[in-house]
Amino acid sequence: MKKLSAAASAAALILVLQGGWGSPAQANDKLNQLSQSDDNWVMPGKNYNSDNYSQLTQINRDNVKNLKAAWSFSTGVLNGHEGAPLVVDGKMFISAPFPNTTFALDLDDPGTILWEDKPKQNPAARAVACCDVVNRGLAYWPGDNKTPPLVLKTLLDGHIVALNANTGETFWKMENSDIKVGSTLTVAPYVVKDVVLVGSSGAELGVRGYVTAYDVRTGEQKWRAYATGPDEDLLLAKDFNIKNAHYGQKGLGLATWEGDAWKIGGGTNWGWYAFDPGTNLVYFGTGNPAPWNETMRPGDNKWTMTIFGRDVDTGEAKFGYQKTPHDEWDYAGVNVMMLSDQKDASGKMRKLLTHPDRNGIVYTLDRTNGDLVSANKIDDTVNVFKKVDLKSGTPVRDPEFGTRMDHLARDVCPSAMGYHNQGHDSYDPKRQLFFMGINHICMDWEPFMLPYRAGQFFVGATLNMYPGPKGDRQNFEGLGQIKAYNAITGNFKWEKMERFAVWGGTLATAGNLVFYGTLDGYIKARDSDTGELLWKFKLPSGVIGYPITYTHKGTQFVAINYGVGGWPGVGLVFDLQDPTAGLGAVGAFKKLAHYTQMGGGVMVFSLDGKGPFDDLTVGEFAANK
Amino acid sequence: MLKKIAGVVTLSCIIGGGLTAISTQASAYDGQTCVAPGNCWEPKPGFPAKIAGTKFDPRHSPKELAKQSISIAAMEDRNKKRVDAFKKTGNFVYEVNKLTD
Repeated sequence: MKKLSAAASAAALILVLQGGWGSPAQANDKLNQLSQSDDNWVMPGKNYNSDNYSQLTQINRDNVKNLKAAWSFSTGVLNGHEGAPLVVDGKMFISAPFPNTTFALDLDDPGTILWEDKPKQNPAARAVACCDVVNRGLAYWPGDNKTPPLVLKTLLDGHIVALNANTGETFWKMENSDIKVGSTLTVAPYVVKDVVLVGSSGAELGVRGYVTAYDVRTGEQKWRAYATGPDEDLLLAKDFNIKNAHYGQKGLGLATWEGDAWKIGGGTNWGWYAFDPGTNLVYFGTGNPAPWNETMRPGDNKWTMTIFGRDVDTGEAKFGYQKTPHDEWDYAGVNVMMLSDQKDASGKMRKLLTHPDRNGIVYTLDRTNGDLVSANKIDDTVNVFKKVDLKSGTPVRDPEFGTRMDHLARDVCPSAMGYHNQGHDSYDPKRQLFFMGINHICMDWEPFMLPYRAGQFFVGATLNMYPGPKGDRQNFEGLGQIKAYNAITGNFKWEKMERFAVWGGTLATAGNLVFYGTLDGYIKARDSDTGELLWKFKLPSGVIGYPITYTHKGTQFVAINYGVGGWPGVGLVFDLQDPTAGLGAVGAFKKLAHYTQMGGGVMVFSLDGKGPFDDLTVGEFAANK
Repeated sequence: MLKKIAGVVTLSCIIGGGLTAISTQASAYDGQTCVAPGNCWEPKPGFPAKIAGTKFDPRHSPKELAKQSISIAAMEDRNKKRVDAFKKTGNFVYEVNKLTD
């Protein structure tokens, strides 16, 4: 059990004495190599494609009914557990929400904690977190001959921390976000080459969003790119949007805002990243403009709500596609980016990026230049947009479901939670199917005016949420779906309703299976081809993370975080009753507490429960001889 | 790629030979009228194009608006000091006031 210390790191000292601040070979190849092994799960999304797809077949649709618990681990934290653990070279690294404890376990004996990092944080961070005190996970950097392997983590109070993966000691710790101005961190860091990318949170407090790249070896800031403001702050490349000038190019980070509104304009990024070594671009989305009250910020509010492709070495944006200009509904555009190589409708092979957005549209872009390839409704009940014009790239809004001051908008679909939120979905390349965990929630929305005060909530809207048209509005159930989507044809191969939102995401395997967790606390496996439910297990608490799979000593395991919370669970976690509390979540999920309660940890499954504790001596006290 | 949709007032039209008033309201905002590439916002009917000086003007305090950038600059400065010391000594120290020149 190590003690967190901001003091000297012996490993780092040795490093310098060895003259080790040069530029040794990038560890990126090693990380990429590790990601290809089925023994590992080294980053969110499993690999740089961020497809949450495993080639493993030991667990398959014929035998998944025999899946049983092999072992479990409690983090001791009861708030929502988003994301997933990492597995690297026989160790599992587990993260938890505030206070952002991290654990390292040996997969040979997961009953013994190798090390624990429990940082001391300013508890005031909890008061400025918008939606529970979640954290979406860890990043791993494999080290080199001069620097030890590192586990990278974010703290809710705004720090990015590098830990020695072998010992848990703090290697470096930097300030990224200031809770005094409402800026927090919930994002999972993302390692590409020898930098770690860190986003930002706090758009509900008027935080102007930015993404930052730090040198993994030293914590030195390499670049920082904002979502709003002058082009030099945005780091727009000279040829920004050269292939799609109609998306807009220069000057719009100011021109699409009135006055200084861009300074408190949101566009934080707290979702997921993907990277293509071929384009050298990292892909991510910026979130909602601030405040939610649209009347207070005339303009398209660029570049909030934007899919960016940025050069990972310089941070320069090669393209940016704004999905929801002038957002009126809090459709924060930070969701998962999944990369695939597929033939488009004309038969041309394309390098694609697919992104199910909060606004109810699932977008597929050519990731080399930002060309819009397809944009389809996640569900036919989306009503804020009639369609997306593929030529202009703009959504055709239905004014009936717009929001504005002095107006109560009713039956707006999707709700502010989106038809898809932070869940990390999966892509099965064999079937060319994306498996998407969906929210099926609509809302009423009424704006109000409020002043901006740094560090205070800056939303300006009252929301009531309830099930979408396919749900049960009398009983507040039927709030979610699981769907299999083909981005080229636009067709859904299958879809199933769920009692609550499928908040955490999905895992696809070559065993013809799709795994996911539910808010009411089940982990489920469905047939990839038909959606047929093949297996489920009731977990100690609800799920807002995504499953992973890996092999250890020849046995395939499936692991998943449990711990209800996050935005949908905020009423349960904080015992709120007002249906408009929790930014509208309390009313929508009023029935959740009838099915699950707070918890926090990881459960691991295998066929027949095979695992390390089959050897009864594992974990036993060995008396002195 | 700019598509202009007239946002003009429709006063009346003749349907089936009769005079029928259908709307005195401007076409509502559908996001399809662009003044420049990537700049397609327009005010909703009854709302101003600029809110400054109107009842919708939040009248933000410039002092409040400046707080984020001031805070970020201070964090970047402290981080730089940490990194410089780390590079120089190999000893990572978080507390900037404990760093020696």
